[in-house]
Amino acid sequence: MLLIRIAEEEIAALYLKNKIMSFVHFYVGQEAVAVGVSDNLHLEDRAMGNHRSHGHYLAKGGNLRAMICELLGKEKGSSHGKGGSMHMIDKAVNFTGSTPILGSIVPLAAGSAFEQKYHRRDSITAVYFGDGASEEGVVYEVLNLAALFGLPILFVIENNLYSVNSKLRDRRSADYSVEKIVSGLGVKYLKANGNDYEDVHAQAGTLIKSIRAGHGPSLLECITFRHMAHSAPIMDDAQGYREEDVLEKRLQEDPIKKVKTKLLSQGIKEEELAVLEKEIRAQVSSDIQFAISAPYPAKESLYTDLYA
Amino acid sequence: MPEPRILKYTDALREATDQVMEQDANVFVMGLGVSYSKGADGTTAGLKQKYPDRVFDVPVSENGFTGMAVGAAIQGLHPIVHHGRVEFALLAMDPILTQAAKWNYMFGGGNPVPIVFRINIGRQWGNGPQHTQALYSLFGNVPGLKVVIPSTPRMAKGLLVSAVRDNNPVVLLEPRWLFQITEIVPQEIYTIPLDKARVVRKGSDITIVSYGDGLIASLEAVDLLEKEGVHVELVDLVSINPIDWETVFTSVNRTGRLMCVDTTNEAFNVGSEIIAKVAQSPTIALKEKPISLATPNVPCPTSTVLTELYYPTSVSIANKVLTLFGKSSIERSLSFEELHLAPTVMIG
Ligand SMILES: Cc1ncc(C[n+]2csc(CCOP(=O)(O)OP(=O)(O)O)c2C)c(N)n1
Ligand SMILES: [Mg+2]
Repeated sequence: MLLIRIAEEEIAALYLKNKIMSFVHFYVGQEAVAVGVSDNLHLEDRAMGNHRSHGHYLAKGGNLRAMICELLGKEKGSSHGKGGSMHMIDKAVNFTGSTPILGSIVPLAAGSAFEQKYHRRDSITAVYFGDGASEEGVVYEVLNLAALFGLPILFVIENNLYSVNSKLRDRRSADYSVEKIVSGLGVKYLKANGNDYEDVHAQAGTLIKSIRAGHGPSLLECITFRHMAHSAPIMDDAQGYREEDVLEKRLQEDPIKKVKTKLLSQGIKEEELAVLEKEIRAQVSSDIQFAISAPYPAKESLYTDLYA
Repeated sequence: MPEPRILKYTDALREATDQVMEQDANVFVMGLGVSYSKGADGTTAGLKQKYPDRVFDVPVSENGFTGMAVGAAIQGLHPIVHHGRVEFALLAMDPILTQAAKWNYMFGGGNPVPIVFRINIGRQWGNGPQHTQALYSLFGNVPGLKVVIPSTPRMAKGLLVSAVRDNNPVVLLEPRWLFQITEIVPQEIYTIPLDKARVVRKGSDITIVSYGDGLIASLEAVDLLEKEGVHVELVDLVSINPIDWETVFTSVNRTGRLMCVDTTNEAFNVGSEIIAKVAQSPTIALKEKPISLATPNVPCPTSTVLTELYYPTSVSIANKVLTLFGKSSIERSLSFEELHLAPTVMIG
């Protein structure tokens, strides 16, 4: 979790220095979701994500250096500079792709689970998407398909209360119930506090156990806070649209802070954590330095990779 | 006489929307984030305050809300539907291409669908393969739609007003690359015909046909070429559905040479259509084979070192023309800003 947080902080700083020519959506505040889910996944399990997938990728074990190189458009990037921030992939750890067209990853992830079932694999697929994306028609279609085919898939809705700056109540009637929709389509549903690692970990664990046991798809809705602006490396409270998740509340519910408090209460020393944080920051900085001095792709690569 | 007003592309669209809403109570605006204080890149800024019941933010359900707007248009309302990128609109292609575009025809007339689809399209730094497609030709291929591409702020305002006054589905493809450019724009409401190309520069040596952001690059190329002694006639297509063949043919007939500039992929692009029709015209005798420039047949990557090779530029356009005339190329490298950041030039 701390790695994701520190990486995002350092990337945000780099972004402000204007070194990143790739659209970025920061994951700060939502770390408990990706880590809580991923800690229940095995290496052979797959994960897929959306436009805000740095955290999903890193939580699955994705290579940090390749990620930063990708943001900087470098040859050593995970997509050799062709994709950028909104297209994370690290097949070595079975993070098998993220795309920014809202909802579109959901059927692709179901296809991954379809393959897993087809080949009777022991693995499952987890797919992350936002509350906004969950309103795309295709998501309802795929919930039905996944239930119909009994696919081994965990749908994870990261409900951070917003689609850009649009609130839930701007987009849903007062009677809207994710639970009723999902269960009505035959998909198992649980809700977790997405600001709380332990809760996400426990609820995801329950659902993943059920999926592994062959009981078909499940959906975990995690209520969480997006700390930064939709797609800029800044806090955006000055815009005044936030109601519940004001800065004070976000800091109070900060998932990293919660984990830290818990660890301290378990007897881990403040100094030990400080050392850990320092080590992680050093690793991130060194990967950023590496990425900055790494070469760009060769010009001819514009024309390569069109076909496999 | 009031001072001439200089407006940004996006502000011109905003003003047009405001003025048509003022005049026609059946006009409403629907799309993701259109109610924000700087909604739809500023093109709907302040409209929610002014028309609280006629500006609708919506769930992320493109197929659903676009289809709903088409249904409302069939019943006589006049929706302006906004999509922030053409890729988002692709989720709503059934209501646009298959429902709205066919409705009047398939019911034998008398069934108009008065609706405007405002769709942002094309290049923007850092957005890569899934956010910058320039799918212009797609809309040109579907009869029943009117498809216009405003290339300047003044065009944007007049075309949007005309689109809303039209009784058919009109697609406004708005190149995001042009959002910052400025021009003198009349305050009062005015229209610009949806189906007329315009000659932007007069010239006698060669006709360049373009539209949208390709037109702005071509405009700079025309200036470069003028210094090299080549006088270009520059035609802004304005509409790609239908195409104003008369204006195109008249110009090519006079110059005897043709170049087409697209910012879309080279296969099946707008320029190919122009060249095909010119080649088949019994009345046009070309002095040289037609030439064209477009983006290569690969998706637009994200890394800047690759995107800087991707788009036609003023220099690459000019050099292609110079080669045709047997002249030596211009040696000029464009700055990082020129290559990657949306232009802020003033037109005119
Ligand atoms: C099909 C589609 N429509 C619109 C957009 C523009 N868009 C990008 S992110 C975003 C908000 C998405 O909200 P949510 O799914 O809740 O994810 P979050 O950004 O909150 O993590 C929107 C509307 C898009 N990328 N794709
Ligand atoms: Mg959200």
